[in-house]
Amino acid sequence: MSRPLRKLLDKAGMAVCVLLLVSPALLFFIWMLSLSLKFEIDNGAYPPILIPDRFAWKNYTTIFEGNSFLLYFWNSLIVTGAATLFALVVGVPAGYGIARMRAHKSAVVIMIARMTPGLSFLIPLFLLFQWLGLLGTLWPQIIIHLVVTVPIVIWIMIGYFETTPMELEEAAMVDGATRWQIFAKVALPIAKPGIVVAFILSVIFSWNNFVFGIVLASRETRTLPVAVYNMLSFEQVSWGPLAAAALVVTLPVLILTVAAQRQIVAGLTAGAVKGG
Amino acid sequence: MASVSIRNVRKSYGTVEIIKGVSIDIQDGEFVILVGPSGCGKSTLLRMIAGLEEISGGTVAIDDRVVNDVPPKDRDIAMVFQNYALYPHMTIAENMSFALRLKNTAKSEIAAKVERAAGILGLGPLLGRFPRQLSGGQRQRVAMGRAIVRDPKVFLFDEPLSNLDAKLRVQMRTEIKEMHQRLKTTTVYVTHDQIEAMTMADKIVVMHDGIIEQIGAPLDLYDNPANMFVAGFIGSPAMNFIPGSIGGDGFTTDGGDRLPLTGRVSAASDGRPAVYGVRPEHFRLADEGMAAEVVVVEPTGSETQMVLRPLGSKAGQVGAGREDRKRELTWVLRERTGAKPGEVVRIAPDPALAHLFNPDTGLRL
Repeated sequence: MSRPLRKLLDKAGMAVCVLLLVSPALLFFIWMLSLSLKFEIDNGAYPPILIPDRFAWKNYTTIFEGNSFLLYFWNSLIVTGAATLFALVVGVPAGYGIARMRAHKSAVVIMIARMTPGLSFLIPLFLLFQWLGLLGTLWPQIIIHLVVTVPIVIWIMIGYFETTPMELEEAAMVDGATRWQIFAKVALPIAKPGIVVAFILSVIFSWNNFVFGIVLASRETRTLPVAVYNMLSFEQVSWGPLAAAALVVTLPVLILTVAAQRQIVAGLTAGAVKGG
Repeated sequence: MASVSIRNVRKSYGTVEIIKGVSIDIQDGEFVILVGPSGCGKSTLLRMIAGLEEISGGTVAIDDRVVNDVPPKDRDIAMVFQNYALYPHMTIAENMSFALRLKNTAKSEIAAKVERAAGILGLGPLLGRFPRQLSGGQRQRVAMGRAIVRDPKVFLFDEPLSNLDAKLRVQMRTEIKEMHQRLKTTTVYVTHDQIEAMTMADKIVVMHDGIIEQIGAPLDLYDNPANMFVAGFIGSPAMNFIPGSIGGDGFTTDGGDRLPLTGRVSAASDGRPAVYGVRPEHFRLADEGMAAEVVVVEPTGSETQMVLRPLGSKAGQVGAGREDRKRELTWVLRERTGAKPGEVVRIAPDPALAHLFNPDTGLRL
């Protein structure tokens, strides 16, 4: 076999493999997009229709009309934003401390908190929030989302701080920096890509969380996933608006990930140490 | 500028003692090099001076002030690390001024100091770049610039040239020495490379297994090594050690060859076992010398290195085994030579420049 042909075959094989691996996620999205643009009659058609003759833009407009969708969007934004912000404020220094003191046991304890099924502590917490008079506000959801976001941030930051070279901090120490200055002026800026990763994962997990919302949210404090779920339950399953709503819910996270991708990949530590 | 006094310093991790009681006096403005094989404790000792490593016993004093419990930031020292340890998120100018900015120094003063250091090291055009945009040698220079800007009492260097290629290493060696001659700041420098130590130091401290083997000026260590370790470590190629015994008016090798001794040592008791140490450049051709077969000839241009296998009266003549390899000698000649492997030459050491060592203690007799 000639060399160029062999190369071409290699590339084609690679493309097929990648397509196979990516297809579940990709097809799922394409089908969702198709559903959101079809009228109900097309959605139920057999054989299935991928690209309809007429586009049902109405599906998108309906979700913004009757369902206080903007309120739920705002709720989601507040809950995820606050839970992620708190998680970063607490988790980044915690990750730094655990990494520098090699306190791996406490890291495991945090992991256990994460592994405990949410439902096991949701009911007692519900009673607690009721007693505190917080139900009906967004606070219960913000607080409980920390169970998801804090461990993610801490674990990602531990890994990141452990890979930053100790010499940099020693150099800062000799240069006259205090512990806090070393953290703020050397360790933290270098860990920026790690913080971005922690931020994105924290946002995704918090944004998509469903269980906490369904238990703790009232009509006015619903987050988006709960709102989408509620679309299912009325009179019939209306696939078109449901898919449109699901896409709109996914969109912010999708945009965020794509926008921050470069940050994640950028090796900021390059040049710190030889070959680093 | 300051003196550094290290008194009976020890370091242990658990029950393992890394540094076993070390005392060094470093004068104001002196360039002292700690040298030794890896694992000898030289880097640990330097880090103890810096305050990056706790001191298990003894005292370290900078300018007569004991600093055992003083954190690194208050010791007024600057350190250059082996892997440069430049802050990757700061420009070269920011890297160099970091310490001054921490001290809230006036902006004009910072600018002046950075400019001066950049001038000394030729870093001017690079000040706005980031470390990742520089070559290895440039990064090393920035690391030194960061130290100079501080104008500290003591410079500490931890194997700063190990990551550079051979040619750059020689160049930076000269630059560091020049910098020291210009600034006259007390410097402690760690290396495992004895050539670096010989060429740069005012005073060399040879360490081995957590103790000091010898302290002295470079040529003093070269000419008068205290023991076999120092004799073998300082100098390249290494000194030849020939086992044998003292007898009559000379030295008899285990191979049966006779080597000359000067009067001062031949007074030692007859038949006493000893090791005859002679540097590769202290052999010469001599008709009455020991016969040796040429194994390898390595011309470097300026000199020729030769590996020889002494034939001796008792040495194995046939099939050079592992044992025989140990007996091989290195000879360095200034002149070029037409000698070919397999030829037999007769060489004799210069007895005035030879050393005798006790084979058990390793100490010089």
